[in-house]
This record gives sequence, structure tokens and C-alpha cells, in this order.
Amino acid sequence: MKTSLSQQRLLIVTGKGGVGKSSVSAALALASALKNQRTLFCEINTEERISQFLGKSEVGEEITQLEENLWGVNLRPAQAMREYALMRLKLEFLYKLVFENPLVRNFLRFIPSLSELVMLGKLLYHVKETQKDGSPRFHRVIMDAPATGHAISFLRVPQVILETVPPGPMAKEARWMRDLLIAPDMTAAVLVTLPEEMPVNETLDLAKVLRDEVQVQPGAVILNGTIAPRFTHAEVQSLPAPLANLAENHLERALLTETSLQRLDTLGLDLLTIPRIFSQDFDRKVVESMAEHLAPLLGDLP
Amino acid sequence: MTAATFSHVLSQKEVVICVGAGGVGKTTISAALALRGSLMRRRSLVCTIDPAKRLANSLGLESLGNTETEINPSQLAQADLPTHGHLFAMMLDMKRSWDEFIEQNVPAGKRERILQNRFYQSLSTALAGSQEYIAMEKLWQLRNKSTYGLIVLDTPPTSHAIDFFDAPNRLLDFLDNDFARVALAPAMAAGKIGLKLFNFGSSYLTKALANVAGTETLEELANFLFSIESLNEKFRNRAKQTRDMLASPSTAFVLVTAPGRERLDEAEKFHRLLIENQMKPTAIVVNRVHPPLPKMLWEMAKEQAEPVRSKLSATLTENNILAKQDAAGVDIIKSFAGTTPVIQIPRFPLDVHDLKSLWHTSQYLLGEKTIVS
Repeated sequence: MKTSLSQQRLLIVTGKGGVGKSSVSAALALASALKNQRTLFCEINTEERISQFLGKSEVGEEITQLEENLWGVNLRPAQAMREYALMRLKLEFLYKLVFENPLVRNFLRFIPSLSELVMLGKLLYHVKETQKDGSPRFHRVIMDAPATGHAISFLRVPQVILETVPPGPMAKEARWMRDLLIAPDMTAAVLVTLPEEMPVNETLDLAKVLRDEVQVQPGAVILNGTIAPRFTHAEVQSLPAPLANLAENHLERALLTETSLQRLDTLGLDLLTIPRIFSQDFDRKVVESMAEHLAPLLGDLP
Repeated sequence: MTAATFSHVLSQKEVVICVGAGGVGKTTISAALALRGSLMRRRSLVCTIDPAKRLANSLGLESLGNTETEINPSQLAQADLPTHGHLFAMMLDMKRSWDEFIEQNVPAGKRERILQNRFYQSLSTALAGSQEYIAMEKLWQLRNKSTYGLIVLDTPPTSHAIDFFDAPNRLLDFLDNDFARVALAPAMAAGKIGLKLFNFGSSYLTKALANVAGTETLEELANFLFSIESLNEKFRNRAKQTRDMLASPSTAFVLVTAPGRERLDEAEKFHRLLIENQMKPTAIVVNRVHPPLPKMLWEMAKEQAEPVRSKLSATLTENNILAKQDAAGVDIIKSFAGTTPVIQIPRFPLDVHDLKSLWHTSQYLLGEKTIVS
């Protein structure tokens, strides 16, 4: 197993809706923290999941330590906008006067992708953030990115802004963000998918779009919910009808896992599998077992 | 009367809007509904915004474009389905739809200025909410053509339930925004590019904004607003028309979800939101439910010799866990559904991506088959 994601400071986890993206990214964050690497887990303006997965109380908009080496934050546009505006305006009262004016707030929504830009800006700021001694505050930032289509627009925001707005403060912000996102030694995308035909199709397309259009380097593919072969064809044929169906479905699912692996392998990326988990409750134990499967991807600190 | 729900919808309604989170099979449900509508002798169109080509795949088409394509009856025949219906499909191309909208509504001389404006380009491709706005616009146009008896719209997956209903309003909010009017008024009155647009001495608001977004950005935005000002009336009228269309008794909403626990909060929110907006869903469709297996399978499995017996037992146990999880999910959905019927579609052994599988799905939607619990 190569450990090709050992150096990247930002891992962007994405995939089609419903493939288990959130649980896989939470597990990846846990795996990173368990390797004694200070890890920040970012969710983007969504129903918070990490605290549920790890059995902790809610994280919210402020960076909060979840456990040793693991912090979480749920980015919200309003909060990110406030931090960004304060950085530029310096004065809290001016911020309140201007940005908390409902008319202005409405107006700002129309500036293309400003809210996405400020959220992305906050996240990328933490990627580069250092402690007093110059060491990075976080060794690794893991972003539970939106699902495929939204992720592409989200990651393209700095580029779109560079193309849309004239030179000025927004364009300047957009430029350093874009440069960080497309630097292959800093940023990698992790694509989560399921062993089914359509999710695999979409992953193959997504990898291409990321590489060629968004220019964010795809680093690894995680095939979530694989089914290991259990029945042989001969066994299926020897069974009475209803049992034969059951066994045949299982066999077909296992074959589908096999085909999915072969098709994903053509991407030439690291390919990890997480076996389908059958458990009554989706709790911390499940996330821990997923983390074990993902650990080889991360490597150790240099 | 869940069994009658969809036969009523498909025979009476003109527009069916499928909403729900991404990855729950909305596209499949939309296509299955349109397929059945067409077999009830209504010219039916399924319109998707999903660029993942899933709909094209499941209808046996190579690809879908911004105009409607009829499914070849030979495709239906190949799947052993009746061929008397007329089923059409299309995939909404945002950029093309926006360009068409501008072409239809802006006099020739003024078009270029809009089409070339950088804000227009991001509006038509990247701006959050513009997808939903143009989807509504297109739906309204399609319905007004009166070519179709039934139009099923597969809505874009939104990361937040509220986005879909809020998005078209964003554009209007902006156009109605007094701040924009006041701050940008000199520019809009002058209507000339290159004019110094802001009197920065006049307003701390514009000053602070310019500090954050940049003077040039605000100037260019002002230019854009000026160039689309003639459309304001149009936007406002259309927004009212689409609101009326959504509220019309001939429009139905269908909420699609999966039974997994991580989907339930979202589904509940969506359901509440639809009701709050006077768009009570006709049904909640719970897609990909693992049905419980008949008890006799366990008995039969015990009669098998090893190692098959253990393998069967492991498989049955796994299925049982999934079925129990899903049943618990469905119970939660029923508890917030109130009077909204809940219709379950089983998880099929393989992906649904052909006409035959769409037909199977539709049999559960119409109540011709049900999951026995």
C-alpha cells in the first residue's frame, strides 16, 4: 500500500449523495488523529454529523476539540463572512453597522459565490495556520465536502471569482485560495463511492472533472460497503428456489464489488475498501472499525 | 388509501414535482412516474436537472439534451412494456436555458451587453439559486406549451431543504433590494459604462462594502443590474406565475427519501417545509427499503448441509439487520408524516437503470405490489 496522502495538508472528501461520505470522512479524521496528527474536521454548512458519529456533544461554528488530536468545526456562511469582514474592516462596530443591516445582507447574497468564498477562505486559513513556534496548528484538515455536483461548484469558486470579479480584494483572496487548492503537494481529493454501477460511473466522471477542470488532484478512492464472495455458482444452483434467490443476490453483489474494483482501478489512484457493516446501530464502534481500514492511506508524520 | 394515491395523481395532475435530498433515487422515482403517466395515455415528460446521465441510462437513451426527446417505442417493446404511450425526457441545461430566456425577453440590441457581462456568466452557470430559478422558469414554459398532459420534474439535489424554495426568491429579493437601488442609483440612472459610479463620500455602507468586495466589483455589478433592469418586471411576473403554478391544485409534490437514519432529519424538515409553504406532499416515497424475508427461509436454511447452511444463516442475519433498521426508519417517517401517505419501494437486487426496472419500481408506487412486513 502506497501512502500517497501522507503529505497533503488538506483532504477533500466527496462523492455522490448517499454513499456514506460523511461517515467515511469522519472515520478518516479519526484515523488521522489516532496517528497523533493534529486533525481538524470541517463540515460545510450542514447538519452536523461528526459529534453524533463519535458520541460527543455538538461542535458548532467554533473550532472545538473533540478528543486528543481531533478538532471539529461546522462552517456557516454568516460566521465566516463576519470573520472575513472583520479581518478587512478591523472594527466590530462597523461590521455590525454594515453587515448586520438586512438590506446589505440581502445584497451580499448576490455577489457571486461570496458566501462559498468566505467559508472556503476560513477553511484554507486553518490549513495554513501556524502556532507560535512556527509549526502548523493542524497537521491535516479534512473537509467533508458537499456531494458531487455541489462539490465541483464549491471547489471552483475561487477560479470562478477570478474570472468574474475585477482585480480587488475579492480577487486577491480568490487567488491564494485557488493556488492552494490546485497544489498537489498540499491538497488532495478523496472520492467515496459504493460498489454499484451508477456510483462508480459518477466517480470515474468526477475524477476526470476534478483533474482536468477543477484541477484539484484526486488522491484516493474509497469503495465503501464491499461484499466479499460467499456462495459459489454451484451452491446457488443446488438450492431450492427462495434460498437460491437469496444466495444469488449475494453472489451478484459480490461480483458487483469485483467489477467496481476493476473499473475504479483504471483511475490509477490508491484504492481502499471498507466492507459493508451490518450493525443495528451506527455508533462510534462502527466509525472506529472504518478508521482502521483507512489508516494505511495516511502514512506517518515525516 | 395509499394504493390509489398515485393513480389519482397520474390521471389528474398536470405537474408532479419530486423533491428530496441527493442520492435517494429521486430521478428513478420521477422517471417511473412519467412512464406510468404515459401508459395512462397522457403525453408525459420527465425533466431532470441531474447532470449524471442516470435518467438517460435508465430510459435507454445515449444522452439527454435541453430539448425533449421521445423514448422510442421499440425500447418499450424490448422491455416487454406496452407501447401505446408517449414518454418524453429532457435534461435541463442551465446555461442554455438562461441564454434562451435572455434571447426571448431582451431586445436584440441590448442582448450582447448582458450575455457578455461577467456577472451574467456566473449567474447563468455558478450562482447559487440560479439553477432552481431557471428550473422553475423552464417548467412554467413547458407547462404553458400545453404539449404535455403530465410533466414530472426531478428537482436538483439541494444540500438544504430550504434552498429549493428559497432560491427563486433570492433573485427577486435582490431586484427589490432598496439598498441596491439607493447605493447604485446614480449608476443605474446614468447607464453608462465607465462612469465613476460611486460617490464614496456619501455612504459608509458603500465604503465598507467596497473595502470588502472591491470598488470595481460593485461598479460592474451596478452595470449588470442596469443592463437587466428591463427584465425586472418580467422576473417579478414570472415569479408570481411560478408561485401560482406551485400552489395550483393541478400541481402535486412528492417527497422522496431513503429509510436510513441519516436521511430522516432532512426528510422531516422537507415535509414540514412543504406543508408550511402550502405544498403538502401527495406522498412520501421511501425508496430502497430492505424488505423483511419470510420466516420460512430460516427453516429451509436449517435443512441445508454445511457449509451452505452457515452461509445462508449469515446472509439471512445480515438481511434481517438491514430490514429491521429500515423498518425503524419507516416508522419514524410515518410518525412525522401525519396524514401524508407513506409508500415503500423495495431495494432491488441490482441498480435500477433500465425500463424494466422502472416498471417494477412503478408497480410499488401504484400499489400493485407492496412490501409485506
